[in-house]
Amino acid sequence: MSVLGLFRREDLHSLAAPYALDALEPDERRRFEKHLTGCDRCAAEVRALAEDAVRLAWSQAAEPPAHLRSRVLAAVQRTPQESSRAPGREYAPQLPPHVWGTQSPPGRSRAPRARRPLFVPFATATAAAALVVASLFAVQAGRAQDELNAERDRAREIAHVLAAPDARASTGKDAQGRSIGVVASAAEGQAVVTLSGYGKLPTGQVHQLWLMRPDAQPRSLGLFDPDTPLVATGLDKVATSLAVTVEPDGGSPQPTTQPVVQLTLKSVGFGE
Amino acid sequence: MEADELMVLVAGGDQRAFEQLYGLVSGPVFGLVRRVVRDPAQSEEVAQEVLLETWRSAGRFDPSRGSALSWILTLAHRRAVDRVRSARAAVDREQREASRYHDPAFDQVAEEVEAGLERQLVRRCLDRLTALQRQSVTLAYYDGYTYREVADRLSLPLGTVKTRMRDGLTRLRDCLGGAA
Repeated sequence: MSVLGLFRREDLHSLAAPYALDALEPDERRRFEKHLTGCDRCAAEVRALAEDAVRLAWSQAAEPPAHLRSRVLAAVQRTPQESSRAPGREYAPQLPPHVWGTQSPPGRSRAPRARRPLFVPFATATAAAALVVASLFAVQAGRAQDELNAERDRAREIAHVLAAPDARASTGKDAQGRSIGVVASAAEGQAVVTLSGYGKLPTGQVHQLWLMRPDAQPRSLGLFDPDTPLVATGLDKVATSLAVTVEPDGGSPQPTTQPVVQLTLKSVGFGE
Repeated sequence: MEADELMVLVAGGDQRAFEQLYGLVSGPVFGLVRRVVRDPAQSEEVAQEVLLETWRSAGRFDPSRGSALSWILTLAHRRAVDRVRSARAAVDREQREASRYHDPAFDQVAEEVEAGLERQLVRRCLDRLTALQRQSVTLAYYDGYTYREVADRLSLPLGTVKTRMRDGLTRLRDCLGGAA
């Protein structure tokens, strides 16, 4: 290959990122797409970069006007579909090849479930949800990667709760201005609970979360890590409130101290 | 039901499945299109085209090649960018004013809508990029500029912009986590 040819090839490779961002001029776009069909490495790279770009899209989600729905659904009724995949055609000419693609993205198989977090209903973005988010990110700086990964997993669980159609939020404050926040879905029996202002407990002590139910013993929902929301699952509908107590390390089977804070669950759809 | 499964039903002509799919994707599609196109009426038009195109070409979706949601959002972005560029070209023909660089408007948009978890996360991760990486990525993706236009606006060589875009996206991936 001539030096010039090599140079031009390298030059084309460097267009992967602009291409993934839809930032090429039309003729460059066409040249690059042609190149893509013969370059598996580039196709894989473009896919990976395009997935990154799509994350930028998610963060912009906004409620469309109601009439858009009726318009689209009406149009669907009278719009015939294309017959499925025309044989011998690798991808629709008007669509980016990495969408129709020639091979799977490298090692990026995504669990479908993982997408759910992104459908956060806007109605739940209340003060308590903001509290959850704030406490999630307040302490990220300087953390090791595995901690960040754990955090992200938790973020996913949290988002799952937030995404429930019936998710509702509530906050409670005690006399000293310390607060407890909850975002809960009665249908899913799940809640995300955050504490703020309680600071670090002395070594050997831990904040434990309890589910209070009528005519039943409090049930432990778990122990708080400092500055970290707690995801509680398996909440029964009859639950009336949440309580937090200070317990010895490792927690207790039943509360051994008076609650430092308590929050009724009525406003988030429980206790019926 | 997840979008990938719904797409398979939609490909078979199932209108109820499309209604469900609409519920899942219309927010992200509309939000993205509006971010790029800005004009509300045009945004609705483009979003409608994209959703209708999803219905028409659902049969081409192949789940083994990526998620339905990326498929749809990639389509939405492409259409939004096409629209904003042809609108800009029309304006440019009338008045070739030298547009001076201004900071990308992701601040103002972040305030415009309520905070979702994903939005917070992306915002946080964008904040961690260098200014040039962030501007290169957001001017292209959110404002629909080509990399040549971005280079122009930032007074940078083309090669630098391409590198900043790639580094920005890669760093964003590291921050957001590959499997989000």
